[in-house]
Amino acid sequence: MNRGDWVLWREQVSAILHLEIKKNLLARRGLWIYLLAAAPAVLLWAHAFLNMRHGRRCDLGRDSLIFAAVFQFFYLRLAIFFGCVGVFMNLFRGEMIEKSLHYYLLAPVRREVLLAGKYLAGVVTTSVIFCTATALSLAAILVHAPRQVAEQYLFAGGGVGHVLAYIGTAALACVGYGGVFLVMGFLFRNPVIPAALVLLWESMNPFLPAMLKKISVIFYLQSLCPLPVPAQGDFAFLAVLAEPTPAYLAVPGLLLLTAAGLFVAARQARKLEINYGAE
Amino acid sequence: MAVYKRSYRGYAGPVTSEWSRFAIIPRYAYRGLFRSKIMTAFFVICFIPPLVFLFLIYLANNFGSFTKVFGVTGATSPLAVNGEFFATFLGIQAGLSFILTAFVGPGLISGDLANRALPLYLSRPFSRAEYVIGKMSVLLMLLSLITWVPGLILFGVQGVMAGRVWLSHNLWIAWALFAGSWIWILVISLLALALSAWVKWKIAAGALLLAVFFVAAGFGEAINAVLEVHWGRLINLTYLFATVWNRLFRSRETFEISEASAWLMLGLICAGCLALLNRKLRAFEVVK
Amino acid sequence: MSGPEREIVFENVSKFYGEVLGVNRVNLTIPPGITSLVGPNGSGKTTLMNLMTGLLRPTQGRIHVLGVPPDQPERLFRFVGYCTQFDSFPRGMTGYQFVYSYLRLHGKTAEEAADLTADALERVRLTDAAHRKIAGYSKGMRQRIKLAQAISHWPKALVLDEPLNGLDPLVRAETIALFRSLAQEGQYVIISSHILHEVDAISDRVILLSGGYVVAEGQIHGVRTEVEEHPMQILIRCGQPATLASRIFELDTVVEARVHKDGKGLLVRTRDPERFYLLLNRLVVDGVDLESIAPADDDVHSVYEYLIGPDGGAI
Repeated sequence: MNRGDWVLWREQVSAILHLEIKKNLLARRGLWIYLLAAAPAVLLWAHAFLNMRHGRRCDLGRDSLIFAAVFQFFYLRLAIFFGCVGVFMNLFRGEMIEKSLHYYLLAPVRREVLLAGKYLAGVVTTSVIFCTATALSLAAILVHAPRQVAEQYLFAGGGVGHVLAYIGTAALACVGYGGVFLVMGFLFRNPVIPAALVLLWESMNPFLPAMLKKISVIFYLQSLCPLPVPAQGDFAFLAVLAEPTPAYLAVPGLLLLTAAGLFVAARQARKLEINYGAE
Repeated sequence: MAVYKRSYRGYAGPVTSEWSRFAIIPRYAYRGLFRSKIMTAFFVICFIPPLVFLFLIYLANNFGSFTKVFGVTGATSPLAVNGEFFATFLGIQAGLSFILTAFVGPGLISGDLANRALPLYLSRPFSRAEYVIGKMSVLLMLLSLITWVPGLILFGVQGVMAGRVWLSHNLWIAWALFAGSWIWILVISLLALALSAWVKWKIAAGALLLAVFFVAAGFGEAINAVLEVHWGRLINLTYLFATVWNRLFRSRETFEISEASAWLMLGLICAGCLALLNRKLRAFEVVK
Repeated sequence: MSGPEREIVFENVSKFYGEVLGVNRVNLTIPPGITSLVGPNGSGKTTLMNLMTGLLRPTQGRIHVLGVPPDQPERLFRFVGYCTQFDSFPRGMTGYQFVYSYLRLHGKTAEEAADLTADALERVRLTDAAHRKIAGYSKGMRQRIKLAQAISHWPKALVLDEPLNGLDPLVRAETIALFRSLAQEGQYVIISSHILHEVDAISDRVILLSGGYVVAEGQIHGVRTEVEEHPMQILIRCGQPATLASRIFELDTVVEARVHKDGKGLLVRTRDPERFYLLLNRLVVDGVDLESIAPADDDVHSVYEYLIGPDGGAI
């Protein structure tokens, strides 16, 4: 490997990014991800609008807890989860179904570089969509709070840190789930059943022993959320975080889990064969 | 050269009657489905809960004899075979049938659309309605076999064991099983077919079916939490069915939405699915 | 001068799809020029092409394409182009974008990729339709855009799976001319085709496949000569076929002589065509009047029938 190789790989990854982003982020068939991400934002803006219209006071404390619940239960466990299922499983398995993967394999690109390019494209697509939606949702909470209260929360109450933590967690969720579902796309011809099993595994995380808890994306993500969700109602068990992991461990832990997934995916990519008839 | 030899004759033999022509589709579909060992194994697993419930019915009606074996006399069964018992049975079988639908449903139409097979069907004396009925009958049959059919058999066994009085007082349970199963089967079959027609990719259709249930439920809860209302439950399919079954099985549990609104919502979902099928099932494709 | 860097080599290559045979114990060396893979459906032509381009991995054996193994696509596709039989494309792309985007994957700059794209589109006569969506193309246009993508980076070896499918006669002729010009420049052009008279017209060498096995390979004439079970058929046009027939039976290698139905020719079957031609020379000197002499079955079609059979099974 020399400097020339790194320059070439950078160019190739850039070309793959360009191709894939056009297919996923800017195409009509990506509409469902936008809807999935925008739904809570629309809801929170509707709430803000109704409050402003009826002259109701904003309870920032209550709204922050509601957003924390929406973020952990809806965004992390459902919206980003299914968004990543759709995007990352489509990267290779989807192209196999559409019989267009061979064009990539007939280009002078290392399979690992192809994998890296596609994975990055998936992360960029999902992160842009879900981080923007998260930011818009947070803006909806602050927009109908009195200006002084909002400024105090943001600049004196650690609000900026909370906003960055939510956006960062959303991005890390895309990174983590992306790695998991990219591998699923390689290992399983019908990745929906493993996706359902992953959903079940993530839901069971509070009940698992400490060692098995760590083999979970949601375990690290929950630790990174700035506000804990009150353990109430039917889904109280999902809110419980018995051993919160500090950020300096959660982020590397998640990245390590993702790297392990990508390593397996790279090995599979190297052995990939085109046999469209079997699909 | 003039055509002077007209030796070709059209087929003049018996043809399948029009009303049963749709049955060609499920005949071939089942052949393909049961080639999968996983699918066959799961289908067999779906009959385990009915066997368990059969044992429970036997136990409930013969508890005294059963406990005598262990030297206990005069014991009464803690288990009551009533509406709640059969509602629990239906709930379990509905869960299993959801998984079965996630296996079977997505591939029914998406494969035909992706491989451009629809013109082959529709260029015969075969309408779109017959096509949909044929595809739907695959699911209707499979899901019936694991929901109301074993449910009614269990009801019959209980009736035989408990006696005519019990049977006459609880005939409504049979109706609840039948109607409750059919509303579930219809909605979930239409949903699976509509999603299968929408995305043209079997795997995406399967994921979408999962998403419709879980994401809609999650978003419904989000609506309730943010707007401090109850109508978010209207997009929670599990809750809708629970509300409908609650009334059918005369449960005392209270629900946050009315039965009428639950029925209306389910009706709208069915109508939406039919509209989507009508739009997507065409013998041609427009490329812009 | 031959060597591993100048040949495409298959060493004892087999490929099984589970229990189904793709190709079995294939040993081939393909030099520069136009080489045609000929065989019935399911004979292994596409499998062989997919193996040499790394889309499939052999169950057994080794492959080298100009010294590079196919499992190093980053090196291989610098000089190999493959036009597959798959009639599917990435969604939503125009013809121009299709060729351009994959050139960028080669590491070409935007300007280089644009120039190469324009050139490739011009060579396949698709410049006018380049900015239309591929989904709206006719079958022939789709075939041509695939070809454009395969040749856009000026590969040294071009692998083409039924490249003439769906092309009208004019475009077909232009495409064949393109292949010939590439071969004349010393490129390797490997084509699979069912159109035997075109294979005859353009190929330097032919590889016959049946049931996953290589049945014969080499120049068409050489292959024909080796099919000894079927004596060579030669059509002689002359004014007195009966007289000629009586003379040619001097040779014991002549198996059959039939007067042509128009009465002005003789169809001869002989086991030793070289001696037969020498005899004909003597007859001409002796005054026998011959108008023309031509082999009647020294072509791919006949070789295909003799070795593979009309129903596709190897004899």
